[in-house]
Amino acid sequence: MSSLISLAFAAFIVQNIILTQFLGICPFLGVSRKRSAAVGMGIAVVFVIVLSSSITWLLYHYVLAELHIEYLRTIVFILVIASLVQMVEIFLKKISPALYKALGIYLPLITTNCAVLGVAIININNGYNFLEMLVYSTFISLGFLFVMVIFSMMREKLDFAPVPKAFKGTPIALIVAAILALIFTRFGGIV
Amino acid sequence: MSQVLIPALVLAGLGFVLGFLIFLVGKYFYVEEDNRIEGIVELLPKYNCGACGYPGCKEMAIGLLAKESKPAMCKPMKKEDAEVLQKHLDALFAPKTEA
Repeated sequence: MSSLISLAFAAFIVQNIILTQFLGICPFLGVSRKRSAAVGMGIAVVFVIVLSSSITWLLYHYVLAELHIEYLRTIVFILVIASLVQMVEIFLKKISPALYKALGIYLPLITTNCAVLGVAIININNGYNFLEMLVYSTFISLGFLFVMVIFSMMREKLDFAPVPKAFKGTPIALIVAAILALIFTRFGGIV
Repeated sequence: MSQVLIPALVLAGLGFVLGFLIFLVGKYFYVEEDNRIEGIVELLPKYNCGACGYPGCKEMAIGLLAKESKPAMCKPMKKEDAEVLQKHLDALFAPKTEA
């Protein structure tokens, strides 16, 4: 049990997917301008990561490993992730048209969000069992949501901050992201 | 032989199952859309660059239909293409004549 808690903490803060593993940077900068869109993107990514890691884990251990065709893992994982994102898109379009509109082109881009494929492959490489995999992918995607939310709040404030003209917009956002990443690397070694 | 056949069958089977699932989800959660949107998207550059202020070309097309935006807001579009788009829009908005 305690190992699961430390795994959850490690996934959430210490090995934060955006700020220490630098995966999923595209939506991190692209959809963080407005908090509502950032929260929506985060939740969509949580859903996709947890579901796709579970399916890919099962597929890897019960199909690919059984048939000794582990080398197919990358292409199979991409296939699963792409179809899942497609389904999420259809769901969102029906359930929340406003969120669908706010996310725009970034929603289909979850397909190529390396965080999703990254988590699926990390789960296999680290040899997690099903429960560990579930905890790890849940908390790593919640870490994604968490960083998206704090970063979007900072960017909303930055819009009103007296920033030198040359740094307005994306440059200052990149500097803020770098400082955030520096802070998060200091968590290294806790777990 | 089976070294080639098994991976091929696994991939094909997986693709079939996932494709069928998408088909089912798409059918069950079908959303009816304004069929004029597609015609406008066809005339836009489809770069999804976001220079117009909308997240993508499709959203720009919805804005054009709602008369919230103008073809000139699209930065990468050529002037001739913008005129074609404007004509298309005028035809859409024109009051229907009885035929």
